Formats: sequence, C-alpha cells, structure tokens
Amino acid sequence: MDLEIQKRVKEFAESEDKDNLIVILGGAEAEAAGLAAETVLSGDPTFAGPLAGVALNLPVYHVVEPIIKDNCDAQVYDDQIGMMEMVLDVEAICNEMDEIRSSCAA
Amino acid sequence: MIKIVHYINQFYGGIGGEEFANHKPEIREGVVGPGMGLSAQLKGKAEIVATVICGDTYFNENIEEAKTAVIAMVKKYNPDIFVAGPAFNAGRYGVACGAICQAVKNELNIPVITAMYPENPGVEMYVKDAYILETTNSAAGMRKALPALGKFITKLINNEEIGSPEEEGYIPRGIRVNYFNERRGSARAVDLLVKKLRGEEFTTEYPMPLFDNVDPHAPVEDMKNAKIAIVTSGGIVPKGNPDHIESSSASKYGKYDISGFDDLTEETHETAHGGYDPTYANQDSDRVIPVDVLRNMVKEGKIGSLHNYFYTTTGNGTSVANAKKWGAEIAKELVADGVNAVILTST
Repeated sequence: MDLEIQKRVKEFAESEDKDNLIVILGGAEAEAAGLAAETVLSGDPTFAGPLAGVALNLPVYHVVEPIIKDNCDAQVYDDQIGMMEMVLDVEAICNEMDEIRSSCAA
Repeated sequence: MIKIVHYINQFYGGIGGEEFANHKPEIREGVVGPGMGLSAQLKGKAEIVATVICGDTYFNENIEEAKTAVIAMVKKYNPDIFVAGPAFNAGRYGVACGAICQAVKNELNIPVITAMYPENPGVEMYVKDAYILETTNSAAGMRKALPALGKFITKLINNEEIGSPEEEGYIPRGIRVNYFNERRGSARAVDLLVKKLRGEEFTTEYPMPLFDNVDPHAPVEDMKNAKIAIVTSGGIVPKGNPDHIESSSASKYGKYDISGFDDLTEETHETAHGGYDPTYANQDSDRVIPVDVLRNMVKEGKIGSLHNYFYTTTGNGTSVANAKKWGAEIAKELVADGVNAVILTST
C-alpha cells in the first residue's frame, strides 16, 4: 500500500469513529490485496510507511468478496465491478483475504 | 546486551521516495522502519541501538564521503553487529547495503549482514564481503526476510557455527568448505548420474560458475570506412614478452603498436600463452591475430583502416572478474580512438 494511501487511512482512523469505518480494497492481485489488508489490520508489513508498527485493526474486505457483493445493488455492482470480476482471480483473492484476516486476528 | 546498528534507505526511513533519494546520512537512536520488525524477531537477545538512514542516490553518487560519514556515525555506538536492508531488488539500495557492510567490516571488524534478491547488483559486487540473505524481489517479502535475518543474527549472537548457504539461507559466497562424507566420491557420482538419466531431481556437489551472455553487437554497416582493432586472449606479444604477461592466470594485458608491421614473423612476435602448443603461433603470429590479412583488406578497400595498436593477454586461467575489468578499460580506449569494430580472437 503506497505511503500516501497509508497516511490517509491513518488520518481517517484517527478522525472518524472507527466502528463506522471499513476498508474496501480494489487491488488486482491476491498478494497485493493481502499486503494492503495486513497494512490496515496489523500495520505495514514492509515497515516503510506511516502505518509501520501501527495496528489499526480496521475491518477490511476486497470488493470482489461475496460479503461486499451481496450488500450491493446488483445492477450497480454489475455496472461498476462486473468486468473486473470476470478478469480477476476472485478465488485467489478471497482465499488470501481470509488468510490474512485470520492470521491477523490470531 | 548485544548492540546492533541498522542501515536503511530514505524510503524505509519514512523520509520519502525517489524525490528524497539525495538525503544525506543521518543517525537516529533506536529502531526505524523495518528495524521495528527485526527487533521483534530478536526477542530481547539484542538491541538495535541506532538506525542510519541515507538516500540511495546520495550514497551511490558520493560513495566515499557517504561511507566515511556512516562509519563515523556507527563507531559512536560501538555495535557488536551491523545489519543493512533488506534491499530486495532495489539496485542502488542493494549496492549501498553491500558497500557499507564491506566498509564496516573492514573498519570495525564486526559481523555484517544484509539481505536482498539474488539478482540485485549489490549481490555480485559484495557477496564475498558480507552474509547476504536471500529475499524475494519486492518488499512483499519483508514478512519472510525479517524472521530470516532474526534467526541468522541469533546464531551469530550464540556463536553457533554458520552452516552452508542452503541450510542458512544466505547467497553462496564462493567459499568451499571441506567436510567428510561417509560415502566415497565415485559412489555419489554414480548416484547423481543415475538420477540424471532417470530424469529425477539431483543437486550437484560442484556447481559451475554462472557466466553472463553478451548480446552480439549490431552489424557494422559501412565496413569500407570502418576502423578495425584486434584484441586477443591468445597471448601474442612482441618477441621476448617485454611486459612479462604471465603464461596463465594473467594479471595484466598489453597494448602494442603494430603500425610498422604488415606481417608478423618469428623474429618479431610470439605467444606468451601457456595453454596450447605454441609452435604454430610462434612461427607466425598472424595465425592468432591476422595482421597480414587485415593489411591486405585495407589495401583492397574492404575495410577502412587497421587500428595502430592491438591489445593482448593470455586467456587461460584468467579470472572472469579481471577479464571484465580489462575489457571495459580496453573498450573505453578503443572508443576514444574512434575504433568502429573489434576482432576478438582466442587461440
């Protein structure tokens, strides 16, 4: 997750009510999504950005995960995400997200 | 408590990306960036007492000043171990990590460790100077790199013996260590051969060095006006070998004037090379560097001119590192002399 985005997420987490904050990722690869998820959960695993050593523990999902898709208007989702959903390796992304969430919760 | 000083670049130091790569070296107390993660891995057995941060461009463009400045900073903390990186596949960062490890080892004589991707140029340059742990090519590999560094450092702290590169995860340094094997060499060799014939996986006991390939140059379009030079590893020298180029494992190359020669003869030239039967080269050195034929080609208008000097060394046993260095020096001179193409002959 690039340093500017880390900074903005950190600022949101500090200025907003954390219970009303959720991070939705759009990265195209499972590994990149996993790194971004880990960054907003337990801190920047590359120790390069403002979230190095900062565990925000924010709820985080990828936009192609069923929990997000099922909560969206089907037509809007299809218009906005449908194309990418066909192109991306949705299963790999979902598995990676599950893994990161459970390892960070452990 | 074991004291560690950690070196990182401006990016991992949280100063910024490429636009801050000219950042001059500074030192901060305690951990910064990846040091946080590394510190956790050391489990209280060692403490990162200070972190040096330096911009990659600054280090690489002011290498001597940067080294001197960083060494002075490191010295103040009197560390027991010095760690740099991990640099992954960041080229300038890798070179900086390698160079500073080398400098710290030479100046302070303490163990130095860094980590990077095997193809990082820092590996080739400094693999003999420091333990370089192998990482993936991007910072995504930090999760694995820091525990590996932590484990390695812990071994150093406990004075445990450092095993082979495969066991410990560092990049081979080209050092062979004797050991006793219960099975004799011939039996092991037959096993390897059988595995190879069956198409099974096997690991050689004697890895060959890796040599890079050189892409062929684009063809010379205008040979009629081209200035051609001769460079040889066939050891041709003026009679008597005036510069004493060694017959093998040469430590130097020679540059000799051929402007006064249309033909090399037994009286004027010979070979210094000790790796082949020199009889025919000594009889007529044109057999190795074809000065006579090239003179004819100039007369016939097939090539523009023959360069006044030829460069020579003996190629047998000469290290690739030396050959590369000399090649670069020779090429620089040839380019400066307006040479368009080189004929490279061996033996």
